[in-house]
Amino acid sequence: METIAFLFYYITPYMAVVVFLGGIAYRLYRWQQKSPVTAHLSLFPRPQSRLGRLGDTLVDMFTLKGLWQVNKPLWAGGFIMHLGLLLLLLGHVRAFTDYYFLWELLQWGEEEQHLFSAVAGTIAGLLFMIPLFYLLARRFSGAVKWLSTPEDYFVLVLLLGIAITGNHMRFLLEVDAHQVRNFIQGLFFFRWQPVPVSAGASFIYHFAFVQLLMVYFPFSKLSHTIGAVLSKMVARS
Amino acid sequence: MLTQFIETIRQRISRPLQYYEDICVRCGACIDACHFYVESKDPAHIPAYRMMLVKKLTQSEASGNKPPLDWYREFWGRDNRMADELQRAMWECTGCRRCAVFCPFDLDTALLVSAGRFSLLQEGLGPEMIAEIGNAEVSKGEIIDAIKEFYLEQIKALEERLQEETGTGLQIPVEKEKARVLYVPLVGEHAIVPVAKIFHAAGEDWTLSLFTATNHSFFVGDMTKAKQTAYYIVEEARRLGVKAIVYPECGHATRTLLHYFKSWFGEEIADIERINIVQLVASYLQEGKIRVRPGAFDMPLTYHDPCNLGRNGGLYEEPRALIKAVATDFRELSPNRSLNWCCGGGGGLIAAADEMEEVRMKAGQPKVEQIHRSGAQWVVTACENCKTQLGDLNERYELGVEIKGIIDLVADALIL
Repeated sequence: METIAFLFYYITPYMAVVVFLGGIAYRLYRWQQKSPVTAHLSLFPRPQSRLGRLGDTLVDMFTLKGLWQVNKPLWAGGFIMHLGLLLLLLGHVRAFTDYYFLWELLQWGEEEQHLFSAVAGTIAGLLFMIPLFYLLARRFSGAVKWLSTPEDYFVLVLLLGIAITGNHMRFLLEVDAHQVRNFIQGLFFFRWQPVPVSAGASFIYHFAFVQLLMVYFPFSKLSHTIGAVLSKMVARS
Repeated sequence: MLTQFIETIRQRISRPLQYYEDICVRCGACIDACHFYVESKDPAHIPAYRMMLVKKLTQSEASGNKPPLDWYREFWGRDNRMADELQRAMWECTGCRRCAVFCPFDLDTALLVSAGRFSLLQEGLGPEMIAEIGNAEVSKGEIIDAIKEFYLEQIKALEERLQEETGTGLQIPVEKEKARVLYVPLVGEHAIVPVAKIFHAAGEDWTLSLFTATNHSFFVGDMTKAKQTAYYIVEEARRLGVKAIVYPECGHATRTLLHYFKSWFGEEIADIERINIVQLVASYLQEGKIRVRPGAFDMPLTYHDPCNLGRNGGLYEEPRALIKAVATDFRELSPNRSLNWCCGGGGGLIAAADEMEEVRMKAGQPKVEQIHRSGAQWVVTACENCKTQLGDLNERYELGVEIKGIIDLVADALIL
């Protein structure tokens, strides 16, 4: 068990990053290999100018306004989950470095930083986790079950695994952010540091699940992160 | 099984189709979008499911190109049931692209269906009637000189009859060089008569095409033949030296004209304007080139946005401007514009008349309810397929409405 934990702490993170970046490059290459379609596949109404179309694409991407128009429950599930995910990604920047400029600007000391991160992290964690349960339940209901493949369940369960272990650390443990940062920075600069003991057993699961997600990401429907922009531009060509 | 299909469609997977195949998250937003699924509850009609079927087939063993981590696709296997499902998924679709509006990534199932239909025909699966009509359109270009004489005679007779009826010097010019506008009609005089009246009133310098705008090869996704069919018109336009090609009230043809011609013919077409008749007549009205009797029609009437003119063509305002100029009680359908329900007759299903009739009638039910709710007595539209389908629905579901074309409406209200 200890050997496995050691591998997940210090060896596989590097592999995950390599597969993640390489996989995305492979995916983009595969798309590039295909011939572009010889038509304008526009949907109307659409903005007139090129810049307007790009703007419309980005606004739609960040607000899912098209989905809001036609399916509000799904919009709520999808939008809130992605919003939570975005906030969590921003929060996890603190595992590498810190928002020093922000703290200076607000003149916040250690204590205020800790309080803010606890409140914001709790909110973001819940925003991410609760919609995931809804999205998973939806997979078993009505016509959506016809559309659900093992991949869909797998991705949702994996994300839930990440969310639950993450929230466990947030709610039930007193994690020392310095320990985590120390550990992650150590990985970055190849100067291995001890694992953050204050994060408990959840940390290894959380960390391993995220690595699995990174490996799976480029080869699955999760590549919609990049592909959606491209396909939305096609519909406005 | 389905080897021909797999081989063909793998070659047809273009860049956008590859995005679609890779990124569809099967969220199910498209479930409520499809008029086929809403009425049939057949999973093969769910747009994302159509995509899944093709993905399963193209990424299966036979393709010899298995992406990593896709082991679970073996889960399904392939069998007869799948071939049946695939046929329903590809043929029972009108290509209306309502699902693309619903999709958070704007995935275009019609593009997939176009490739899928062509690939299925390689297996001999599907209503070959549509493809046959497409072939006839291609051969018409080859034998045009032989049938020209007969066509000119018929047009001459029509012209004389119209001159008598209207008491004007109305002309239907054919093969007129250096005319400004080349008008491409449909089969049948109903697509010529009202247009000729409006052109006469507007003093337009026009000429009638020897061909028709319809392009059935486009319906079955045979892009080589679709391009050939359209090329006869480009050739004619260049030979006569016209400034503009104008297409009639026909959805799919207008879509090819507005969105495919540029990439098909490039430079050859660059200096020729390409518009639909509804756009042209709306511009006449706006510029005061024609005058109509305002309030010529006072019954409640509504407008059905043909998919290919509306969400696929962007012509929302022009038809409404024309209707409002001649009618007093205009009512919108709900929903309308980009979210309008398809009539259920597009995508060539009208051409496969008997084979597809029941499917069409079922898929038209959301439209029937919409019309019923609007309380309109006349349903106005601007697409031949829609008109035929709405007429059939009217009869089957005893709606008691009349189906009208916009151009007919304007021609009837015209002050000559």
